[in-house]
This record gives sequence, C-alpha cells and structure tokens, in this order.
Amino acid sequence: MGQPTKESILYDEEGSEDDEMGDMNVELSESESESDSDEEGDVKLLEPSKKAIYNREGLDEKRQDIIWPENVGWIHRLSIDITQEQEVDVNDDLKREASFYTQALEGTRQAFEKLQSMGLPFLRPPDYYAEMVKTDAHMEKVKRRLLTEQKEMEEADERRKAREAKKLSKEIQAQKTKERAKQKKDEIESVKKWRKQRQQSGFAGDVNDGELELPFEDSKAFERSSKRRPGVAPGDRSGGKARQFSGKGKKGMDKKRKGTEFKNSKFGFGGRKGMRKQNTADTTDDVRAFNKGGMAGNNKRKR
Amino acid sequence: MVKKRKHSETKAVEPTNKDDDNSVQERPKRTLLGWKDKTEVKETESSPAVFRNKEKVLVTCSRRINYRYRHLMLNVVSLLPHCKKDNKVESKSSKGATLNELVELKSCSSCLFFECRKHKDLYLWMAKCPSGPSVKFIVNAVHTMEELKLTGNHLRGSRPLLSFSSNFDNDAHWKLVKEMITQIFGIPKEHRKSKPYHDHVFNFSIVDGHIWFRNYQITVPHNESDKVARGGLDKMTLIEVGPRFCLNPIKIFGGSFGGPTLYENPLYVSPNQIRALEKRQKAGKYAKKVKAKKRRKMHELSNPLEPNEFADMWKE
Repeated sequence: MGQPTKESILYDEEGSEDDEMGDMNVELSESESESDSDEEGDVKLLEPSKKAIYNREGLDEKRQDIIWPENVGWIHRLSIDITQEQEVDVNDDLKREASFYTQALEGTRQAFEKLQSMGLPFLRPPDYYAEMVKTDAHMEKVKRRLLTEQKEMEEADERRKAREAKKLSKEIQAQKTKERAKQKKDEIESVKKWRKQRQQSGFAGDVNDGELELPFEDSKAFERSSKRRPGVAPGDRSGGKARQFSGKGKKGMDKKRKGTEFKNSKFGFGGRKGMRKQNTADTTDDVRAFNKGGMAGNNKRKR
Repeated sequence: MVKKRKHSETKAVEPTNKDDDNSVQERPKRTLLGWKDKTEVKETESSPAVFRNKEKVLVTCSRRINYRYRHLMLNVVSLLPHCKKDNKVESKSSKGATLNELVELKSCSSCLFFECRKHKDLYLWMAKCPSGPSVKFIVNAVHTMEELKLTGNHLRGSRPLLSFSSNFDNDAHWKLVKEMITQIFGIPKEHRKSKPYHDHVFNFSIVDGHIWFRNYQITVPHNESDKVARGGLDKMTLIEVGPRFCLNPIKIFGGSFGGPTLYENPLYVSPNQIRALEKRQKAGKYAKKVKAKKRRKMHELSNPLEPNEFADMWKE
C-alpha cells in the first residue's frame, strides 16, 4: 500500500519541477540566442530598453561647455572625419581591421595634405633620432619573431616539396619496375618464339645457327652481368653468394645446400681465384676486422 | 648630454613651426599689401587671447587591477606625454570625490580612470575635471602594445593625428564623446614633451555601437621620406603599433565622476548579468537532459514498436 502513494508523490514532484524547468528553458533559449549574436563576451539586449535616459539638450549643453572656441586652428585639433562607405560586420576580424586601416590611411592622407599646405613638417627626417614608444629591446623581439616565422614558413615549404618529390620518385620507381618486368617477359617470349620456330622448322637451322637472328643476343639481355656489383670481387663468378649456382642445382642436393653454398661463396667454386683475393674499395673501407685494442698497445709501447 | 642635445633640436625646429603659422607667412604680405591676409591668420591675430591648449590628463587605475589592463594603462601613459600617472585608487563608492581631489591636486583638467572589477572587467572613466561631463565605458578586446604581432613603432610623444569615423556626428552623445576624445587624446601643440613631427595616427571608429581604438604608425618607403612632400602620398602605408581596445559607453554623467545622468546605453548588459546567464545555462543543462529522457520515455510508451515479422527468420 505504501509504494503506490510514494510513486504518486514522486510523480507529482516531477511534474511540478517540470513546469519550472519549462519556464527556465524559455529563458535559456532566449539567452542562447543573445549570446549567439555576439561572441566577444559583450551581450547586447535585443531591443533597446525604453527607460534609458537620453538627455539630448543636456549633452549638447555640456558639449558647448567643454568645446574649444570655434576659431581654433586645425593644427591644435589634428582631427579628421572620414566617412565609412558601408557597414562593417563586427565579427569578421579581417574586414573590420581592413576598414579601420583604410579609414586611418584616408585620414592620414587628408591630414598630410593639410599640413603640407601649411608648410609644416610631417614625418620625421631620417636623421632625427629620439626616444621611441617601444624600446629597442622590444623591437628586437618583434624582429626575431618575424624572422622565425619566416623561417618556419620556409621550412614547411621545403618539407612539402620533399614530400612531393618523394611521391613522384616512388611513382617513377614503380614505372621502372613495371617496364623492367615487361622487358623480361618480352625477352622470354622472344626466346620461346625462337624455339618454337626452330622446332617447327625441324631444326633445319641447326647448321646455320650463327646466322639465326637472336633478338636477345645483341640487346640488353646480358647487360646486367657486366654491371659491377658492390662487395663482390672482380673475378668472383658466384656473385658473392653463389646463388645462381645453387639455383641451378638439382633437387637432391638441396639438403647440403646451405653449407655448400656458403663455402662456395667463401672459397669459390671454379674459376680463377687470383682476382677474387684482391682488395676492392669496399673491402678497404671495411674496418670491422681491424684490431680495436690498438690504443692500449700503443701506450704500452711508449712505456 | 644626449638629452640636452635632443631638447635643443626640438626647440630649434619648433620655432620654425610657429613662424610658419603666424609670422613668416604674414611678413611678406604685410610689406607688400598692407593688412590683406588669409582669413585664418587674421582670426588668430584678431582673437583677443591666442588659444593655448593646456590639457593635462591624470591617468590612474583602481587597486587590484589585472596585469593586462595595467599594461594597457601604461601603454596609454606612454602614448600621452601630457598625462600624469598617479597611484592606484581604491575603487569604492566614494572614489569619485577622491579622484576629483586628486585631479585638482595634480592640476589636471581631465582624467582617465581604469577601473577593474572582479579581476575581469575593465571600466574606463573619461572625465573632464572641474565641472565637465564624464563618460563611463566598458573596455573589451584589449590588446596591449607588448604583443609581438604589432610591429610598428613611433616617436614617443609625437603628436598623433586623430581620425574619426563620420558616424561620430550622428548623435548627441557621440558628438560629446568625440569632443572629449579630441581633447584628451590630442596632444597639445607645443607641449614641452611633444615632438614636432606626426608619425602616427589614432583611429577611432564606431562599429556596432562601440568605439574601436587603433594606433598606426605612418611609414613611407626608405630614403624617400624627404620626397614625401611631393609624391609619397600613394606609397604611404600604416603599421599597427597598438594598443587596441574597444570602448562601449555605458553612461554619461553631467559632472566629473558623478552628477546627473545624461545618457544611458539602452543596449548595455553588464558582464555580471552575462555571467549569471551563462551559469544558469549550465545549470539548465542537467534539467534539459532529464526532461529529454522523460520525453523519450513517454514517446516510446505512446508509440510502441511494431512486432518485426522477420525477427526470428534465421533462428530455425
């Protein structure tokens, strides 16, 4: 019996709260719209309040009280009125600042003309040195900041360029490999063709083999072998690894291949050994095998 | 030594200015044609007492001022050679009387009082002192001169040009404010700390009911500054020096720091109210959430889901 009553009470409470919240929400939505209208923290009333005081006569009177006499020369005042062409959007920083800038510039020009007609000096001559508003130390800081900004910009530019170049080079590389693969395929194809041709003709061309056109013979088929490979002695036919050799080997030899391969690559298998034992630029530069305890030995020798 | 030399230099230049105004231009005319002068020159001649601007501005701030606003005040001090800086004043209800006394003591004719409240809001009082009107502004969007993005620089104490946007003449209160600004921010001619050249311009413009202040340096390209008299007009550029601020007038009073209210900004909302509103908004967030939840529940109850006929299609 107790529970339902409790629930009903709760419901009642919620209902009443709800009403209050509803009221609040209305206010809040109003306030939101207000704050949206201006972001810089100063909220305006949407409508001007009616009871605000505006005593035009009093204001004018006060102005007449403080105003300088009419016939005061412009040189005392130095003030210029500039008409703004159009309304500026306050929240658009760039436009706003630009409008201020143009206003100031226009004013400066007019003032300058006036001063010129009076024959008064305007800008300071270049040899007139005097205390400035901002100290030299401060201006140094400003300069430094400008410089660093410029440098940063340049660096970013460079980075971007490098990135683009990398992308480009990748593309080129991909194209190259593609081309190479294509070339290889073509060559194989041509060999096959030649073989077929030979078979079809019943090895008739056997006799005049040398006269047969071998498309792969004179082209770039063997070019690679003539290329120098790094880390391989000039006379080493195994190419430092004897991979070609093992690749050609029969399947039965696979088991002892590893040891053999290594040994072959190290000690050679066939061919002249003499060239292989000569130093090349790479082996000369290799300092791994040098004695590291040399310094200590030197010291000992000194003593 | 250096100071002395500078002083003599300025002195040396200044008399020529004055002469340009009055005597040098007159003299040949007087000898040739008797007393036929330009009207302007005649006026100054005929006026009983030559006008002399003796404006002096007291610049001070309230206690517990924010560092940013304090820097702004110091910048203003550095811009106005005809001002006197004074100690901080306790910001309480009787500050008007204190300030009036201070101004009198310092023999100033106007006052800029930077009042900081709650370490957040800066109010600027601009007052003409013995009897004149006073305006209370709230200051927004403050950028001090120390900011490194403002790269200009100009002579300390050179007289600024004052450039006003034309909408200052639209209304009575703007007119009054403009007059006060010209008197307070314009440096008196031949003030002893001022320099005889004009290399910066104060820009005041009304946008959105606020007065925006900017300070620009006037530059022409190098080694042409002597030629500027002839053709440098187009090459003239401005560089911002700072500070920047934006003044929103709240009230204009008849007396200095008090007196009858002559104007009230009808659109003004105090920052305290804004903050309160924000707070309430935050408070409302939870309530909204709860309400939305409840509404969702009600909606679900009133629109039950239709039984899905394909629900156990794949179960067999």
